[in-house]
Amino acid sequence: MNALKRLRGANNEGILLAVIIVLVIAMAMASPAFFTPSTFFSLVRSSMVPLVFALGVLLVMVSGGIDVSFAAIAIFAAYSAIAWSSGSGIDPGLFGAFLIALVIGALLGGLNGVVIARFRLPTLIVTLGTQGVFKGILLTYIGSRYISAGNLPPSVLAAGDAYLVNIPGAGYLHAMMVPVVLVTIGVWWMLKYTVFGRGIYAIGGDVEAARRVGIKVVRTQVLLYMMVGALAAFGGIIYVILGKNANPQSLVGSELDIIAAVVLGGASIFGGRGSVLGTVLGVLLVQLINNNLVLVGIPSTWQRAAVGILLLAGVGIQALATVRASSRSTAIHEETVA
Amino acid sequence: MSDSRDNALTTANRRIDNSVSSLISRIQVKRGSGRMVILLLVTFAFFAALRPGIFLNPVNLQNIGVAAPEIGLLSLAMMIAMLTGGIDLSIVSIANASAITISSLYTAIATASGAEAAEGMALLIIVAGLVVGLLCGAINGLLISVVGITPILTTLGTMQLFNGLAIVWTGGVTISGAPAVLTSIGRSTLVGIPALFLILLAAAALVAVVINRTAIGRKIQLQGANAVAARYSGISARRTLMGTYLVCGALGGLAGILFLSRNPAASADYGSSYVLLTIVIAVLGGTNPNGGFATVAGVLLATLTLQVVSSGFTALRLSDYQYAIAQGVLLVGVMVFDQIQFRHRRRASSVTTSQGAVPAAPGSKEDGQPQ
Repeated sequence: MNALKRLRGANNEGILLAVIIVLVIAMAMASPAFFTPSTFFSLVRSSMVPLVFALGVLLVMVSGGIDVSFAAIAIFAAYSAIAWSSGSGIDPGLFGAFLIALVIGALLGGLNGVVIARFRLPTLIVTLGTQGVFKGILLTYIGSRYISAGNLPPSVLAAGDAYLVNIPGAGYLHAMMVPVVLVTIGVWWMLKYTVFGRGIYAIGGDVEAARRVGIKVVRTQVLLYMMVGALAAFGGIIYVILGKNANPQSLVGSELDIIAAVVLGGASIFGGRGSVLGTVLGVLLVQLINNNLVLVGIPSTWQRAAVGILLLAGVGIQALATVRASSRSTAIHEETVA
Repeated sequence: MSDSRDNALTTANRRIDNSVSSLISRIQVKRGSGRMVILLLVTFAFFAALRPGIFLNPVNLQNIGVAAPEIGLLSLAMMIAMLTGGIDLSIVSIANASAITISSLYTAIATASGAEAAEGMALLIIVAGLVVGLLCGAINGLLISVVGITPILTTLGTMQLFNGLAIVWTGGVTISGAPAVLTSIGRSTLVGIPALFLILLAAAALVAVVINRTAIGRKIQLQGANAVAARYSGISARRTLMGTYLVCGALGGLAGILFLSRNPAASADYGSSYVLLTIVIAVLGGTNPNGGFATVAGVLLATLTLQVVSSGFTALRLSDYQYAIAQGVLLVGVMVFDQIQFRHRRRASSVTTSQGAVPAAPGSKEDGQPQ
């Protein structure tokens, strides 16, 4: 029983893994083209940017909020850094580009944090509002021009062709995988072993209780949203590097794939629950479906509906499980409702 | 004998009514419609003064009256969902699903048995659009009330689902064709007022009556003001929420019909900026996003205000993106402003009534989990 419980994981990560394995087997049986190195490589490649975004969304969700402005922050920060560089002709280098974007991202995220923490406003509505503001400012005052590969800073362009492993004809592992994996481990470590990370869980579990044990709620939340903004910017730059272009119209609109992945990964929208492992698996599941629906003969127009169904099924099962668990412990309580 | 019992019942009911409304007004900061009237007049005067030639043109004013109704209906739906403490992010997708249903049904019947036959069945086709709206609302209601998924996640998922199914249905392109009845309604006016605007007013009046004068309306308000109290008053949260999202679906379906009346074409991507817009309008109109308080008049006035801002921006040659900035700033600004005012009031009232009973625990609403 105990071994089974451990296999299942604290946030049902085990079940998620089982679903992924079943899905992989089903897809492999449906299409012989599935079980090839190139499928694997493209899955890894397409999961990198969503994973970075998902880590940010995970942090917000663990603290009891929901963030829909991360895509706007990501493209705002990345595009601003690249546009400044290509406009002024100064190549800040790869680290310089990352640094500029991260600072911009942290500032924008900090704005979210101040409004949300200082005034205790609903996070969804605030971030919907700031999403409109960020996107509007980017396209009106910073630039609406598509920056093609030729106009990217040379160092950023060069990073686009850096491979870790390159198997001609089958695919490659991109070098940007290294920072993504490092950041993932960093977020996992922070959530698990630092006072700040435990503070995020505490705030998500119960704000008042967190305050009473001495956690500075407002400061923690502002710092958290700055970190989430920086993570978004980090993902934005990697997106530019992988795509070898900077398009200010991109990214915004794809938020739901990320939120769905985090929720499927076991994070609770009420806060206090969620894990990096679950998020990684959630991202892989969503990308697996996004990438390979066509391969098993489902038209690509079904992609959006499929993610919607996946999200509803995932949260539906969780919700039903919660109802069942609470009715078991407080049977009398529930009777008055029904 | 039965008379006296009825009398006793009515008095009891009235007493409960009074206590409920006093409770609600005590919990909520009064964000009356007075503020909105002033705001509407100020924005109107502002743009009229800046660009009198373009802005005060009768065509422009008529355009405001034609464009506002669909947004107003969607905002009313958002308001009702917020009244219960929820939110309906899928409302625009529902409207599009309704519009696509009507358009493709009409086109299918017209190609199969001639345009005349299709016109003859126009009413039936339009009703089909409304039914699709109700059906989508029922799915939301079912997932929220029976399965127990939070409204944010439910409607985020169904937004994606309805929108995704619409893409599957249309193949991702804009489809055209709509019953001529709709187009003529879209063009007609009554003493200078567009018919579409009258439809909005009628729908708003109906929503106001339902919320303020019927049992389900009271239940919706109490559900949002205090879900626990509602439960112990014997109100079935399940039925209330189901009713709420059915009404939202119906309003979305009606908005889809108005989409087609303005322009006989439907697509899955229409009005993608409306989700933010409807939330801005609902909150600006005095709706508490945590539930329990909203006024139809406030939302109507906020709809007009935003439409005035939109057309004023066009007159000033500002872009849609600048309009989006304005919406975002307005949304966050209004919420911050209300919050500061609320804290002032609470501080003031806790000084005067520091001894005595606990003041209706507003903290339980305002300090709750951020969503």
